[in-house]
Parts: sequence; C-alpha cells; structure tokens
Amino acid sequence: MFSRPRLVLGLQPRIFIKPSVASARTALVARRLISNSTCSHAEHNHQKPKLEHLSSGIEERLAHSAHLLEPEHDSQGNELNAYRHGPSALDKAVHLFFFTEIIRGMWIVLENFFRPPYTIMYPFEKGPLSPRFRGEHALRRYPSGEERCIACKLCEAICPAQAITIESEARMDGSRKTTKYDIDMTKCIYCGFCQEACPVDAIVETQNQEFSVENREELLYNKEKLLSNGDRAEAEIAANLHSDHVYR
Amino acid sequence: MVSLHRTIRSIRRVGLREWWRQMQYIGDAKSGTYVGKDQFGNRYFENRNAEEEIPGRHRWADFAQHDFNATQIPPEWHSWISHIRKDPPTNDPVMQNLSPPWKAPYVENLTGTRGAYKPYNTVVPKINAWEPKVKARA
Repeated sequence: MFSRPRLVLGLQPRIFIKPSVASARTALVARRLISNSTCSHAEHNHQKPKLEHLSSGIEERLAHSAHLLEPEHDSQGNELNAYRHGPSALDKAVHLFFFTEIIRGMWIVLENFFRPPYTIMYPFEKGPLSPRFRGEHALRRYPSGEERCIACKLCEAICPAQAITIESEARMDGSRKTTKYDIDMTKCIYCGFCQEACPVDAIVETQNQEFSVENREELLYNKEKLLSNGDRAEAEIAANLHSDHVYR
Repeated sequence: MVSLHRTIRSIRRVGLREWWRQMQYIGDAKSGTYVGKDQFGNRYFENRNAEEEIPGRHRWADFAQHDFNATQIPPEWHSWISHIRKDPPTNDPVMQNLSPPWKAPYVENLTGTRGAYKPYNTVVPKINAWEPKVKARA
C-alpha cells in the first residue's frame, strides 16, 4: 500500500533528473559566463522532499521485484516459483525472531519479578571466597612467636610492581632479620608472587579484602603494620594453609 | 521483602522484635539457626535450607553495633561467613588448634578515625640534617 508511491518517488528522480543534469552540464561547459550564469546560493528544495533517504528501505527489499516480474507458468498452467514475489524465508524468519525477542526478553523480566532476589546484602551476608584468595598482606610468626621473615629478599626480587622494600640487619644472636619491610599497597597488584617466592611462608596474602582507607598514606604499610595483620589473623591464615596443604 | 509467605514464616519463627531489628538492619526477614557469637557480640546465623534461602545468602551476621561495617567481623568468623570454612570457629578443631597464644586482639578498620594507621620509618633515616657543632674557643 505504502510501498508503491514511495517506490515511484524513489525511481522518478533517477529517471528524470539524469538527462536534465547531463544537458545542464553541457550547457555550462558551452558558455559559462558570469553575465548569464545564475547565482547559486543554497536553497531549500521545495520540489521533491527526499523521503527515500530517510527510510530504511525495508519495504523495497521486502517487495523487491514485485512489480517487475511477471508470474511464470508452465505448460499446464501451474505457477512456477510462486514465492519469489514475496519476502524471502530468511527475511520472514529474521522478522519473527527479532519481534518475538522483545516478548521473550520481557517474559524473563516477568519471571524474575516473582522470584526471590539474588542480591547478597553485603555487610551482613558475603559472597564466597577461596582459601587462596589474595587480599591484604601479612607477615607471619612461628608458633613460638619469632617472626618468620629471614630477609632473603626473594619477594622483593620477584615483585612485578616493585612494591616491596626490604632492609636487613643481623641481630645480636646472629640471625638475619628485616629492619624495614615496606609494602606500597598502592603499587601492589595482588599477584601473589611474594607468598609463592617466600621460603618460610612469612609473607602471605590474607583473605581480608576490607582494608579500604581514606588516605593514600595509610596504604604504605611498614613492617609493624604487616606483623600486626599477621598477629590478628594468624588463626585464619594457618587454617587456610592447612586446608590447602594437600595441593601445594 | 521477598514474598509475603517468606516474611510471615520468618516473623513466626523469630518473633516481632527480632523481625523489626532485621528490617532496620538487613532489610529482609530472615530466619535460621543461631550459630554463634564472637567476642564483640556480633551474632551469626545460618539457614541451609535452599528452599528458604538462596545459596549465597544462607549465612549472615547480625552486627552488635549500630554503626556497623564489614570489618567488625573478626578473622575467624570472617572465614566462616565468607564460606571459606565449613564449620564455625566455635566447633572447628583446625581453627582452634592453630590459634596461637600470642594472637593479637582484633580491631576493625579504623580509617578516618584517630586510631588510623599512619606509616612511619622503621629504620634509622639515612639522610640527616646537618647539625653544626661549635668547638669551644680556646
């Protein structure tokens, strides 16, 4: 119904303007003088509204060649290839799929409206964490209370972000211990290489992920902060290492 | 509020007073078994019935403080409520045996308060200001 006048509108300019443009060009080439050439300001084209550029052309594609092809008949009078005038099977399938997709999507919304929400109310309920989760760092102690770190600096060497700084001294009893163990938590990428490099399981990443701070300064951890983290969470750290020791 | 049925069931189990408290804090009527209480008075509950609680919401805490935050849960209970360990620390022999005598008391994340951690140098500074020493005149 609507495709026919629009098709006419679309086809007419090509038919009629092309010869007129060619004749105008030859006329311009023939004698192009300021005295007889008209002023060419931009003007609204009132004659033909360009509807064909705004349409997506789906009607033309659906009704493609409907007005061009005559129905073919064989000798008995049966029509051959009766569906070639209509839209193709692919076009119809695509339209069905994309139209019902809206309804199918809305149906999922409606289903979930009557289901209990999946939302985990965070500070009260928490999502599952792995015992190997890599969160805030901690320095551990031996069960005797002696700190584990022997200042071998393997973690400092392997740290890809170079977030660890270690300085060491020998104690009075001859054991080498760190005097400075700084982790810049703003640099740390929580890759866990430090706890894998550590030969004595001194530096570990605890399962604490709630160490957000208000100042950037508070994330520059020193040795005492790391040791106090370990002292507080030692039961959790040791239990996690115990639950995972089979796989290490 | 998930459904009327669930809400009424929870009210009948936990009572009106507890339901009001839950609505003020969790915002949802939940019912389950009482699992334990930590040293700060936070209470922990569990409901492993998958028909009543969505898996993932089946363990929850009731904070003792009005001004609650997630770091008020001590590490032992943190590993229970984060589903790291199966048993609560009150009857988890591994957690109890591995708890050392020098375990420090837990403090919550004190950022933004006067107790917040401030970094400092743990070694002697390598660059010192010059302090001129005046020799006594003869």
